[in-house]
Amino acid sequence: MDTFEDDPTLSQLLNAEQLSRLHQCLSKLCREPVMLTEAHPGNDATAVEFNLDTVGWLSGGQGPQEREAAADLVSFLMLFIGKYRLAANLHHDTTEASYAELQRQNEALRESEARYRELSNQLQQKVDEQVGVIRQTQQELYESARMRSVGQLAAGVAHEINNPIGFISSNLRVARDYVKDIQAMLPDSAENRELATDFHDLLNESIEGTSRIAAIVTDLKTFSSIDQADYTRCNIRALLASAIHLVQTEYDHRLRITEQLHDMPEISGHPSRLSQTFFNLLDNAAQALGNSETRDNSRILVKALAQNDRIQITIQDNGCGIPDSHRPRVFDAFYTTRPVGSGTGLGLTVAQDTVRAHGGQLQLHSREGAGTRVLLTLPIS
Amino acid sequence: MPDFSPDNNKLTLKVVFYGPALSGKTTNLMQLHTLLNPERKGELMVLETRDDRTLFFDMLPLGLKGISGFDLRLKLYTVPGQVQHDSTRKAVLSRADGVVFVADSQLNQQDNNAIAFGNLEENLDKVGLDIDTLPMVVQFNKRDLPRVAGERELQDRWADTPWAPLIMASALKGEGVIQTFRSLLDRLYTRVDEEFRLAETHGINRQEFVDRLGRSSKSEVPHGYL
Ligand SMILES: Nc1nc2c(ncn2[C@@H]2O[C@H](COP(=O)(O)OP(=O)(O)OP(=O)(O)O)[C@@H](O)[C@H]2O)c(=O)[nH]1
Ligand SMILES: [Mg+2]
Repeated sequence: MDTFEDDPTLSQLLNAEQLSRLHQCLSKLCREPVMLTEAHPGNDATAVEFNLDTVGWLSGGQGPQEREAAADLVSFLMLFIGKYRLAANLHHDTTEASYAELQRQNEALRESEARYRELSNQLQQKVDEQVGVIRQTQQELYESARMRSVGQLAAGVAHEINNPIGFISSNLRVARDYVKDIQAMLPDSAENRELATDFHDLLNESIEGTSRIAAIVTDLKTFSSIDQADYTRCNIRALLASAIHLVQTEYDHRLRITEQLHDMPEISGHPSRLSQTFFNLLDNAAQALGNSETRDNSRILVKALAQNDRIQITIQDNGCGIPDSHRPRVFDAFYTTRPVGSGTGLGLTVAQDTVRAHGGQLQLHSREGAGTRVLLTLPIS
Repeated sequence: MPDFSPDNNKLTLKVVFYGPALSGKTTNLMQLHTLLNPERKGELMVLETRDDRTLFFDMLPLGLKGISGFDLRLKLYTVPGQVQHDSTRKAVLSRADGVVFVADSQLNQQDNNAIAFGNLEENLDKVGLDIDTLPMVVQFNKRDLPRVAGERELQDRWADTPWAPLIMASALKGEGVIQTFRSLLDRLYTRVDEEFRLAETHGINRQEFVDRLGRSSKSEVPHGYL
């Protein structure tokens, strides 16, 4: 490796042209021509020194004294040529070192810049995510405020309807008894019999209508949480079992329900709202099976188990499923695809609100024609 | 790292005078040029200065011949002490075989000494030299001035370092300059002898090394060195 301090040779200090000019000048000064060569010329010659190094040999001249004087002069010149060379070499060395250092720093700078850009991208991404979350929360807040007012309205309506529907229902039953009594008092003619039967059917239909209204009122009450009682310990297994029993009664025990209910710790919750939720979900499943409910392979699976610190409940059917186009709206209140009169469209809304109120989650997976799976997770503590 | 070229049997060693600006590095070298009477002594090259302050470096070549044509050279360099010439300092320091740190004794220069010493450590590290093993002596110069740090106090402060004892000097008056240099030669010998077997192979023992390179021109009788 060459460094600035390497001892220079004669040809490094003087190029050929400079050397020949030096020869001319010296030869003019001396009585006989002199020659400066890098290698010893073989004949009489005096060493020319630079920094203790012999850089060349001076030959010729008229004797040793003249050679000595000329060599001295050359050495003196060399000192200044050498100084310049040293300074220039050092300058070159430091410039190169500085440039290398600069490049290294530049490289490091570029690297750190890239790192910061990456970091800033990540931050931007996080910000975007957070903005999304905030927007979502805002939307939900708005929705829940809207739902609260709808809930209040529903609560008012439910309260107002509850009483009249109660006495209408009981009056209709009394009226049905009266029809029997009146029929007994009337002469037994074909015309009278037909009239009484008709009247009886009419009242039966009305009674059924009132119980449907009562069911809707119950849904509304649950939805609007009118009857908010304190939380108690809930045995999920027992609640599920009774909901299954209830839905079987509704469907004359024609549903094929596979139960896989494991032992689970009790959780703190609202038993009637949870029951209502289970019932709604089971009822949805039963309706999804539709007229095929008696088909050999149509099934509802109810599975519940404790895993880590949560309870997982699966209610799955292999019924008609939910079309992709409907799925985004299934949790909307009052959204229903069923014929008017078969429900309030609050089933899934109530279910989701209830699960959220218990600190849990409700997930719905569905494929049209293949079935629907609802996964509920409820925290244990 | 010593530069040995087997072709011409020449070993070149490099000693660098380091220290804060105006501490007297150039003065040390000029005095050595005047006071030393080594076996071989070249011209003192004072490269470029502005207001007496070194811009590149100064250089003084010394030398001695061993047996069977062994050619030992010692090149003494000074660095520019001014902070802005750091890249020049680093270039001159690279491949050094020994360092003389010239500190300024004046009380108001103690911070600058510390900064320059830190800079030396840093640059040694950058050029791949180890301050703990590099032969080095520390000189406190300008003892002739009135407001200087006390010698006792300085010696105590440096007592636990590899560079104790410090050498007190007045380069301006030529005092302590040769002593500093001979002390450095002594430390340098240990290192160079390890690698090049100076005594065994070239017939140069420690005493000869120090005397033949660090002989004072004032006495014909060689010093008992130090
Ligand atoms: N009183 C006194 N002055 C000194 C002594 N040594 C050097 N000086 C003076 O201090 C000044 C600087 O000395 P230099 O030898 O040029 O200092 P330097 O360390 O080479 O300075 P830079 O080349 O700038 O790093 C000169 O005026 C010297 O005369 C000393 O021992 N005593
Ligand atoms: Mg100087």
